Amino acid sequence: MSIINATNIHRRFGEGELEAHILKGIDFSAEAGEFVAIMGKSGAGKSTLMYQLSVLDDPSEGEIIIDNVDVLKLSEHERTRFRLNTLGYIFQNYALVPDLTAEENVFLPLLMRGRDWKEAKEIARAMIDEVGLNDKYTNLPAELSGGEQQRVSVARAMAGKPKILFADEPTANLDSVHSAQIIDLITEFNKKLNQTIVMVTHEREYAMGCDRIIHMEDGVIIDIEKLR
Amino acid sequence: MRSLRIGFLLGMRQIQRASLWTNILIVFVMALTFLNLIAVSGVLVGLITGAERAVRAESLGDIIITERDDQNNILETESIIRQIKTYPEIETYAVRYIGAGRLEANYKERRDLSGERDIAQVTVTGIDPIQEDTMSHLSDNMLEGEYLDPNEEGYILIGYYYLQEASDKFGDIFDSLSNIKPGVTVRMTVGDISKEFIVKGIVQSKVDEVSLNTYITEKEFRRLFGRIDRNADRITIRVADNVSEDSVKATLIESGLGQYAKIQTFEEGKPKFITDIKNTMNLLGTFIGSIGIIVASITIFIIIFINALSRRSQIGILKGIGIERKAIEIAYVLQAAFYALAGSACGALLTYGFLLGYFERNPIKFPFSDGILVAPPDETFLRFLVLFAVTLIAGFLPAWMIVRQNTLNSILGRK
Ligand SMILES: Nc1ncnc2c1ncn2[C@@H]1O[C@H](COP(=O)(O)OP(=O)(O)O)[C@@H](O)[C@H]1O
Ligand SMILES: [Mg+2]
Repeated sequence: MSIINATNIHRRFGEGELEAHILKGIDFSAEAGEFVAIMGKSGAGKSTLMYQLSVLDDPSEGEIIIDNVDVLKLSEHERTRFRLNTLGYIFQNYALVPDLTAEENVFLPLLMRGRDWKEAKEIARAMIDEVGLNDKYTNLPAELSGGEQQRVSVARAMAGKPKILFADEPTANLDSVHSAQIIDLITEFNKKLNQTIVMVTHEREYAMGCDRIIHMEDGVIIDIEKLR
Repeated sequence: MRSLRIGFLLGMRQIQRASLWTNILIVFVMALTFLNLIAVSGVLVGLITGAERAVRAESLGDIIITERDDQNNILETESIIRQIKTYPEIETYAVRYIGAGRLEANYKERRDLSGERDIAQVTVTGIDPIQEDTMSHLSDNMLEGEYLDPNEEGYILIGYYYLQEASDKFGDIFDSLSNIKPGVTVRMTVGDISKEFIVKGIVQSKVDEVSLNTYITEKEFRRLFGRIDRNADRITIRVADNVSEDSVKATLIESGLGQYAKIQTFEEGKPKFITDIKNTMNLLGTFIGSIGIIVASITIFIIIFINALSRRSQIGILKGIGIERKAIEIAYVLQAAFYALAGSACGALLTYGFLLGYFERNPIKFPFSDGILVAPPDETFLRFLVLFAVTLIAGFLPAWMIVRQNTLNSILGRK
């Protein structure tokens, strides 16, 4: 049984004349430990698919089973719990909490998971060390460069060792050096923790470390490329 | 519990990161609200409390002995006084004879005997000038002239309100006499008896019982009113410091004085309207304060609303990565709580550290009272609790409104 199993996913926006059919019956599955890349032109529906798979949005039609849980049947509160305990996120715009320091950003989800303060802080610092920011624990996001912010965001996503990591164009706002760093980090965690990763990217270069590339166009999957 | 910790962290950091001036401004608004709530009714009630204090000091005293309901005077006045003198808890006392008379002025100058006479119906109080002064410090209230001398006869003190100039000022509420000043001769008539007095002085006080009164010596009063039995109408008692008037009253009653007279503490004997006005003022103050609370709650609502709205995508991200709604809501409620607490603390500090003492030293001068600020801590605390609770709700509502919005829409900044 795959860890992600989505069948016949449709997503429509608006109604009647204005209706936009963005996802047109997508079947998607990923095995535990698999690193899947999604590629396609801007507007193809990659992000929209991501939101469905990562339990942030509700498809208009279809079924999604993640880690043996029928996520569409969960209540809002249960979904929040599920996202906390099973999923990790890296967003294009880093999405750090600007009022919190780097380490606070990382240990916030750990606190929510019930870790005590001291323990959460230790784990957070260890994670920040791993992404190479050991002198920036108490910096605010505004005091970090884009690349550094995205590394904090990787640390935050990984600190809880989620079974599945979703990353939507994590390198879109970064130069090539920093982009490569982020991709290396993600790949490393995938290997080390045997995490399932679903990543949207524009650059073929960054998809080369994946197990599989899914090509999308206009709301449908047009090609699946198996790399290993 | 987890939500509380996270809410606390988020809320605290938001306050920390807000600009200092924003925080100062909000705390200032909350402090003003607190003052509005406490001080407005405090001054209104203090107005009456000031009047009440004056009545107690200058007229009624701490314990009031009056005639029993079935009698015209206090019976056995002299033996009561003898008893009173033996109590160390009683600092001093005054005995008063009270009656009504007709006071006439300017009768010698009157040429036209059919013209209107200058007459006022007045209250007459017979006092022992020295004993009275120990109790009510009547001699401090001399507007003009001098206080009564116990060794002289034929002198009278007239209350300011019986003067023409007073009725010109306050409206013609009482009978008044013109051209009254020290040295002038007036005629007092009680029943068939008339006697001339020379005005020794004019007394004025914010206490009506003083300004609307005339004073002569008790000896002359008894003669004028034919009170040969020496029974007085009122004995007022000032108890020593740190002595409860209730216990002194109880002792007096125990020793059997109750059979000769009615014995009341100030609280029992004070005019009922004082209590009524006080309650009215309190209500009025509460009403004005409630408007303040509404304004403050709207202020807090707007502050938290803008605060949360400007962090909408942040709120979305927090929910996205699995932070519970409750935790985020707590963060905003805590901010509201912080502002309410800090503001109230400033307000309380100002009230108890400065305003109370200030008004005690510099009472507000009203025509009928020297107003002080009254802020009993228990009532203040109660009002603070109301302010606090309202603030929490005003903080929670906007947070709830924004936190409940769709997570993805919040993250992406969509409508
Ligand atoms: N809420 C929405 N309402 C209407 N159209 C939307 C909405 N979200 C996305 N779309 C449309 O769906 C299409 C796919 O968007 P998206 O999934 O973000 O593409 P990609 O990530 O592949 O660039 C775009 O044409 C976009 O305009
Ligand atoms: Mg996209």
